[in-house]
Amino acid sequence: MNASSPLPTDSDAFRAAVRDFLREALTPELIRAGERTTSVFSDFEAGRQWQSILHQRGWGAPDWPLEYGGTGWDIQQRYIFQEECRQANAPTPVMMGIQMLGPMLMHFGTPSQKERFLPGIISGSNVWCQGYSEPGSGSDLASLKTTAEHDGDDFIVNGTKIWTSMAHYSDWIFCLVRTDKTVKPQAGISFLLIDMATPGITVKPFTSLDGEVEQCQVFFEDVRVPTANLLGQENQGWTVAKSLLEFERGGQHFTIDLKKQLSKMQHMMSSETCRVTADPTFAYRVAETQIDVMALEQTELRIKGSLTAGDNPGALSSLVKVSGTELGQRCAELLIEAAGQSAIPWQSEVLAPSYEGSTAAASESVTTMAEYINSRATTIYGGTAEIQRSIIAKHVLGL
Amino acid sequence: MTMTEEQTMLWDTADRYLRENTDFNQRRDQIAEAIYNQPQKWQAFAEMGWLAMPFPESMDGLNFGLREIAILAELCGQYLVTEPLIDTLAVASTVLMRSERATALVPDVISGELIAIAAIDEPTAESRLSPSCTLSQTDSGWHLQGKKYWISAGASATHFVVLADSGNGLAWVLVAKNAEGLSCETFPTHDGKGGANCHFDLPINDDQILLMGDAAAEALAAFRECAMTLSSAETLGAAQAALDTTVDYTKQREQFGQPLASFQALQHRMANMLIQTETTRSLVYAACDAADRDSPDRGRFARAAKVKSAAVGRKVTQEAIQLHGGIATTDEYIVGHFFKRVTALETWVCSKGEALQEFMALDA
Repeated sequence: MNASSPLPTDSDAFRAAVRDFLREALTPELIRAGERTTSVFSDFEAGRQWQSILHQRGWGAPDWPLEYGGTGWDIQQRYIFQEECRQANAPTPVMMGIQMLGPMLMHFGTPSQKERFLPGIISGSNVWCQGYSEPGSGSDLASLKTTAEHDGDDFIVNGTKIWTSMAHYSDWIFCLVRTDKTVKPQAGISFLLIDMATPGITVKPFTSLDGEVEQCQVFFEDVRVPTANLLGQENQGWTVAKSLLEFERGGQHFTIDLKKQLSKMQHMMSSETCRVTADPTFAYRVAETQIDVMALEQTELRIKGSLTAGDNPGALSSLVKVSGTELGQRCAELLIEAAGQSAIPWQSEVLAPSYEGSTAAASESVTTMAEYINSRATTIYGGTAEIQRSIIAKHVLGL
Repeated sequence: MTMTEEQTMLWDTADRYLRENTDFNQRRDQIAEAIYNQPQKWQAFAEMGWLAMPFPESMDGLNFGLREIAILAELCGQYLVTEPLIDTLAVASTVLMRSERATALVPDVISGELIAIAAIDEPTAESRLSPSCTLSQTDSGWHLQGKKYWISAGASATHFVVLADSGNGLAWVLVAKNAEGLSCETFPTHDGKGGANCHFDLPINDDQILLMGDAAAEALAAFRECAMTLSSAETLGAAQAALDTTVDYTKQREQFGQPLASFQALQHRMANMLIQTETTRSLVYAACDAADRDSPDRGRFARAAKVKSAAVGRKVTQEAIQLHGGIATTDEYIVGHFFKRVTALETWVCSKGEALQEFMALDA
């Protein structure tokens, strides 16, 4: 190894190894699923298949500590891995188990809970969804009303959860429930792990603004859940919930997706359908956005560089979430302007990974409108941009 | 900027009709069944004289100006009308009005039987002004060849008014949707209007050539200017409706033990939405008046209105979604539909970027 080389050669070698793997493992159909992803989630089956392939290779959860099936990669290697997956159009599996619940189980779970749940999460055989918001409790999450009452060795759960992404595909749900109504709201919440096959659970999917189904409302009617499924102490659920939200907000590399959007932009700007090639101000706006993406990338690396695997980024995750999502929206706006009239068709069938026919939209613009529409939800879910700014004001600025 | 008595009456009548005959859930069901132009509604539009608005009295028209047509456009935005109203009125008041050959068609346009939609977009960006679709002379007449894509409201058309290059200037050519030699693929669009992609390869006779040469170029300029103002008016109506919906919702929705509307941070954002919507309204109405007075400033105002309304429509409907929260990300709630329609209007006929560059060129 050449000591004067600015980048360690093994990082290049690492990247090359990841690329070799992706070239081999990604089938044309999996790539199409990645290309035609219009939100956080790819086609469900394609995502599940990809998670299983990653798991077989030993790369099912690179961010997890080695003892739970992680890879032992350093921060840079994990970043490279995600970046290469994204650039190669690998599909994105449902990540609520790996990104959110996994770290909570490691931190708050009993040995038997870890043993029971972690293997199914990393292999992708158990898909998890997140039961936080309720119809009356969005930004004011602590006001949640779904109750869990003791009955022998069980809890009896009643209530409803809303905006539960992918609940219609999920095997399990992790849920915030009220176990004490007599104390202040945050002090009476517990964190429960519930099998979606339990009698009394019904799922009502919603059609999202882009015409696809990802969001659901989940109803619980006298649902019996063993007390052994309590994660953390009873009435300590708010601590788990907050910690998890910080992982949700800060646990991803926003810049990897942003750079992917910028490369789509480059591709679109060189295509004949591009509507803005003659507009000099457009190129300036793209360049400014690029600089903001660089600033966020360095911020992410700076924050992550100060953490070790499995650590929680704290309130700074709010900074990353606001910047990342709002920049993503800006990229989506630039893309929709570049696509112009060529993005108006809405053909749901085209988004299926098995679809190989022609498209009414220009081939560069097939997902552009849906991505733009879905980008609006990113500053709402996982804590709205307003809530994030309040967190920054309170916990970072001390106001 | 007050409305005349006649304009107020038009507004009230149209507003009442659309309020009584618009049902949001029905609209969703119809779009799902690919019905973008409901026949009874279209018939009612015709009976109320809306389709006759731009034509002179000598043609049994109402001889209304752009200001009156823009009233309908604004209400189309507010009520999320999917019928091809502004699309046909833009063509009628510019291309058809300039064409002697179109005179014979006007009764069918007024009765609603003939729905003529402009086909100007092609795969390349510059095609909107200089088409690669060709109209060439043959031994027996003419031949039209080329593609027109992403025609908004194209699914509702009975005829396309196709912009072509005749080798001797531009031409506007009328082609029936069921003509042999026209292959037309219709598709749903995110804004519910329904679109079409067309391939033309067919013989054309003299009667179908509505305008050619300088007259065709003038009609294109007029059509674009008219479309800029009508899209601005529709965007205005949608933005106002999105703002109204947001104000109502934030007054009702409680979080942290109080209505969302009581949070100052949110109040200021809604105040900004109002400021932006009202200043847009002023420009849209001014653009209509400039056109109706045939002021030398008319092109400048049309472009200003387009640029302003595109920016404001986007911002206001985005904010409307954000201030609602999760509920606005479902297709079952109305506010996101204003956002989707405004997004489609941004690029219809002339984009904000194109209008801005043309505005700068006019001022240079």
